[in-house]
Amino acid sequence: MSDLTPAERAEILERHLQDHGHVHPGEVDAAIAAAEAASDDGPSPALGARVVARAWVDADFRDRLLTDPVDTISEYQPQTVPIAVLEDTASVHNVIVCTLCSCYPSGLLGNPPAWYKSFEYRTRVVREPRAVLAEFGVEIDADVELRVHDSTAEQRYLVLPLRPAGTDDWDEQQLASLVTRNAMIGTGFPLPP
Amino acid sequence: MIVGVDSVHDLGGMHGFGPVAVEVDEPLFHAPWEGRVWRLLAAVMGSTTIDRFRYTIEQMPPAEYLAASYYERWLWAIEHLAAEQGILDGTDRPARVARPSPSTPTWAGRFNRGDRVRVGNPVTSGHTRVPRYLRRHLGRVERIAFAWPNPGESAATGIYGEAELVYTVSFAAADLFGPAADHSVTADLAESDLEEP
Repeated sequence: MSDLTPAERAEILERHLQDHGHVHPGEVDAAIAAAEAASDDGPSPALGARVVARAWVDADFRDRLLTDPVDTISEYQPQTVPIAVLEDTASVHNVIVCTLCSCYPSGLLGNPPAWYKSFEYRTRVVREPRAVLAEFGVEIDADVELRVHDSTAEQRYLVLPLRPAGTDDWDEQQLASLVTRNAMIGTGFPLPP
Repeated sequence: MIVGVDSVHDLGGMHGFGPVAVEVDEPLFHAPWEGRVWRLLAAVMGSTTIDRFRYTIEQMPPAEYLAASYYERWLWAIEHLAAEQGILDGTDRPARVARPSPSTPTWAGRFNRGDRVRVGNPVTSGHTRVPRYLRRHLGRVERIAFAWPNPGESAATGIYGEAELVYTVSFAAADLFGPAADHSVTADLAESDLEEP
């Protein structure tokens, strides 16, 4: 293993790539700044929350989201790989993982959280999802079917969680504020109203 | 580098890892170099496939893989891919590799929704997207998901070939992990990795 730190190796790599014209100065800074400034117009949990909230209030949109997810999500953000929407119901709870690497619906939700990429999550959630979800504070009733989806190909997944009870008079924007990132992965529920 | 497919990245179902640590208010990058590595991937990805990137990471020696952070693994792969593409030595850019668009298959497959299928045993020194924990197991086709080039070929050649069907297949976790498991697991598997039961 190299004696250099990752930061030193990254600097050397970037310098070599710049010297030979494969990376332009400023391009990396600009990309990082844009990613860190993510708004709900670009891939981010907030953008995913807008899609989920719309599905809760607009039955036609919900149907299109489930049957034609790539085109429907692309109305918010162009999708470059297939994406499937997993609808939670009173009797089914969905959770997503990538055991082989870190496949995640980044084109909608932005970069995955560190725990999603961790060895602990990748090894355990396919084998003992109820125990893993309990660590997130999520208890799934024994009579609810738990489906774990391993993202082993170029198809990404988005969980469409259940709309929280007591939100009948909430509008789309208010509802979006209840949708957490974990709720769209399956390791959480939307916030209570 | 020749390594078997049974490399350390294939983690699903492995025992011995502890609780999932969840960071509160996690930053997008944990150090400035992580963001730079994240963006530098673009310098090599234009001329190869996502599968070859993954395959390169899979060639990290296992102890290094487990000791490295997520973006250290990316860094390792970008260094290797940049060397392989020759872009650290000169200004020539290798040919661009066109990435396929999401497509709905227009042809019938060997299997249909509801069919029982057995996962193959793709032992190869190359790359596969069949997790070890599913090999030789019986599952049921939930749906034909999409069409995509074969990952093993895309990893070996660095270009995307002809598309084949990819099926979403559901497995009873009790079959995979023992009777205490009451959930199901789905995976997206290429037609060439599936057999008649």
